Amino acid sequence: MTNELEKMRNIGISAHIDSGKTTLTERILYYCNRIHAIHEVRGKDGVGATMDSMELEKERGITIASAATNVNWKGYEVNVIDTPGHVDFTIEVERSLRVLDGAILVLCSVGGVQSQSITVDRQMNRYKVPRVAFINKCDRTGANPYRVVNQLREKLNLNAVMMEIPIGLEDKLEGVVDLVQMKAIYFEGLSGDELRIEEIPESLRDEAERKREELLDRVSTVDDDVMELALEGEDIPQELLEKAIRKGTISLELCPVFLGSAHKNKGIQPLLDGVVKYLPNPTEVRNVALDLDDNENEVELVSDENLPKVILAFKLEDGQYGQLTYIRVYQGRLKKGDELFNTRSKKKFKVGRLIKMHASDMEDITDVGCGEIAALFGVECASGDTFVDPSLNYTMTSMFVPTPVISLAINPVDKKSADNMAKALNRFSKEDPTFQTYVDPESNQTIIKGMGELHLEVYIERMKREYKAEVEIGRPEVAYREAITERAEFNYTHKKQSGGSGQFARVAGYIEPIADEDVDENGDRKDYDYVSKIKGGAIPTEYIPSCDKGFQQAIKKGPQLGFPIVGVRCVVNDGAYHPVDSSDMAFQLAAIGAFKEVFPKAKPSILEPIMKVSIESPSEFQGGIFATINQRRGMIISSNEENNTCRIDAEVPLSEMFGYSTALRSMSQGKAEFTMELLRYSKAPVSISDELKKNYAEKNKSK
Amino acid sequence: MQVSEIIKLSPIRVFEDVIDGGLGRGNVGVLASRRGVGKTACLVHLAIDKLLREEHVVHVSFNGNVEHVLNWYKEVFREISEYKSLDDAFDVYNTLRRNRVVMNFSQEDVSVDKILASLTTLIEQGSFKADAVLFDGYKLTLASADDVKKIKVFAEKMNVEIWCSVSPVRLNVEFDDYGIPNSMLPYVDSIDVLCGLKYNEGDSKVIMTVVKDGDKRIAKPTGVALDPKTMLVSK
Repeated sequence: MTNELEKMRNIGISAHIDSGKTTLTERILYYCNRIHAIHEVRGKDGVGATMDSMELEKERGITIASAATNVNWKGYEVNVIDTPGHVDFTIEVERSLRVLDGAILVLCSVGGVQSQSITVDRQMNRYKVPRVAFINKCDRTGANPYRVVNQLREKLNLNAVMMEIPIGLEDKLEGVVDLVQMKAIYFEGLSGDELRIEEIPESLRDEAERKREELLDRVSTVDDDVMELALEGEDIPQELLEKAIRKGTISLELCPVFLGSAHKNKGIQPLLDGVVKYLPNPTEVRNVALDLDDNENEVELVSDENLPKVILAFKLEDGQYGQLTYIRVYQGRLKKGDELFNTRSKKKFKVGRLIKMHASDMEDITDVGCGEIAALFGVECASGDTFVDPSLNYTMTSMFVPTPVISLAINPVDKKSADNMAKALNRFSKEDPTFQTYVDPESNQTIIKGMGELHLEVYIERMKREYKAEVEIGRPEVAYREAITERAEFNYTHKKQSGGSGQFARVAGYIEPIADEDVDENGDRKDYDYVSKIKGGAIPTEYIPSCDKGFQQAIKKGPQLGFPIVGVRCVVNDGAYHPVDSSDMAFQLAAIGAFKEVFPKAKPSILEPIMKVSIESPSEFQGGIFATINQRRGMIISSNEENNTCRIDAEVPLSEMFGYSTALRSMSQGKAEFTMELLRYSKAPVSISDELKKNYAEKNKSK
Repeated sequence: MQVSEIIKLSPIRVFEDVIDGGLGRGNVGVLASRRGVGKTACLVHLAIDKLLREEHVVHVSFNGNVEHVLNWYKEVFREISEYKSLDDAFDVYNTLRRNRVVMNFSQEDVSVDKILASLTTLIEQGSFKADAVLFDGYKLTLASADDVKKIKVFAEKMNVEIWCSVSPVRLNVEFDDYGIPNSMLPYVDSIDVLCGLKYNEGDSKVIMTVVKDGDKRIAKPTGVALDPKTMLVSK
């Protein structure tokens, strides 16, 4: 095993659906000799790509869960994390990014930068992940890597630098010219295993010189040594140039671009060289944890094997032999039999089996060092938990978890399905924080919540296949919110002084909407705020937090639709108490009562989730797409046309998006595709909210 | 300040007075100058003025990044609303966004026919009731006289006001005293209003001059200039 941290890379591969990243991963495994034969994603041999381990993924040809696998390239240990491409599963992408030190952004040489690439790139920026780009499918008709490089610059604002130029394109793709070494590389043998390195063919000499000039220009902007030599017109040693590119890549100032065709086994080995040359090792990335014993202050984690252990559980999987927990060690060295402390559940546990994963096969190991990715068996935990040496009390920064926007009632068909369904739901909600489940106390139905229709459909499918749980599905429901639009005053007395110990509390003040501009450091609007302007002890200090608790209780369920109330500030400026009868409970109840009384006076409104929808399609269907958006109360933000394809960005209320994939498919002969994500909550039109309120009132009456 | 007051006090009113109350529907106006003088800001200012009056605007761009265009609107709106301390700026901006569509063409050589077809699709099938269309940086100087005529016919048929910003792409172009490139001359007839923008070093402002208004071919100072800091139209 390689122990030197400089020789380790934790990388992810993310991209747009169908740009071939599973095929690419497959080839990487093959060249690193981890698999003995290449299987196609939708292969004829019925085996399927090694990384797509779940049966469902094999059937749909998509990757859902990100399997982590470990390979060796020229003495470097590379952990590869395969990530899903569909936007409904972005929590998986986000979680993988959290533990990565670098990434390969895969792009299709025909499709270029697509909407999903933009989403993925935004996520990479959020976690400051250095990346190299790989322009795949250069053997396809219409391949144009130069156009894709321009898109990387224009659409993603990346300082993209071509490290290679293609030798031939489309069906004439033979190899690449390496612009750092200025050599032509051809890929030969049955699976492109043999590299033939030659002088650059005469026909490409000028082109290569020009592109190398451009490369030097771009590298000069981030490295003074290269700039000096370039200005003096001197030769730049390969080593110095590579060092400069590496520096620029790690500081996110450069994005080296490689190209080839995974399917045709071209260009993969230079990409792997690029990964080890330019992407950072674990020591070059700053990682922090929060110290729970020190007011959650940040502490830097150091990749030192002698320091106490800090480990993050970033993914759970239900394997044949029990729960598998994927972990990354950030600090210290973990050995079999070590004792660890879970800072969320506050429980200690012993490390039993420690394994390294290779897609569906595994390998037992005895210890794992920092920077490494491994898996534990049979540990009771949730995804995102931090495990530490019992002497510490750190938690890794909480990961950004988007709020679920859609819910669905499910009903098991029989007793056996009910038991299995419970097991499945328990597992899924631990694996995926954006998938939530609860039992509605009023209807007694099990409700599942998630990020979109497809997201929930996949889990229902998995329930059926993996757990044999047959369920009936209700109508999908949108997660609305309630809000107020005006300030309103309250003055409420809670009194119960007949018999037994009495209760007395009076609270007065006002509630008001929190302005949209009033955002926290993350740019999110606050959902709730509590301000006490009590002077002179009208309410004793110990009861001021009681009012807060009461208000928080009251906003959980709004009176209009039964959804949470958001964007409200509760201000208490006066009150009264009774020396004997006032209590924590009395003030809580007073606050609840006050809120219930004042809410209808503050011009309440309904908020609905608005989705950012991106549709990609051949230009001929543009008109139809405009029409579908218009019919759905949508707002067209922009349309972008390029070479007979168009991308339309729009904002559409989620409630109108049900069944959109079917509508879009039938309208475009299956050629258009779309992605969507939650943009914000916004006020629903009066006609819609009146209808919703009416339905809610009727539903409650019928009970 | 209220929206109505901002509209009334806008320097755009001064500009419109010079061309007899504005360009008007069915007409084509052109802003011409050297590169980097501030035409985009000027166009966006014109667009926001229309949007504030609850008109619908399509912004046609050719630069490959829609975000840039959207940011221009955000910036210019912020400039206007902060300078005049507009009431409920946040809500006003949200309504304004509803009435604007950015239509981008990443292709260098997209034809006028294609652009007009897409615009027609948006207006008819997307039920977007456009009042004005802005062509930001279309290479009109490379277009044929026929293309410009098509744009004019489109403006009349759809009953919309069209503003284009034009800068020459060729190097051997000469500019007259008002900033008009000579490569525009073949199409002047199809244009209703032609306005030149020129940087004046004396007061470091970009001077706007109307050189053609309807049938009249005389240079009329507009009394407005582009503020060098914000690039907005100012008195």
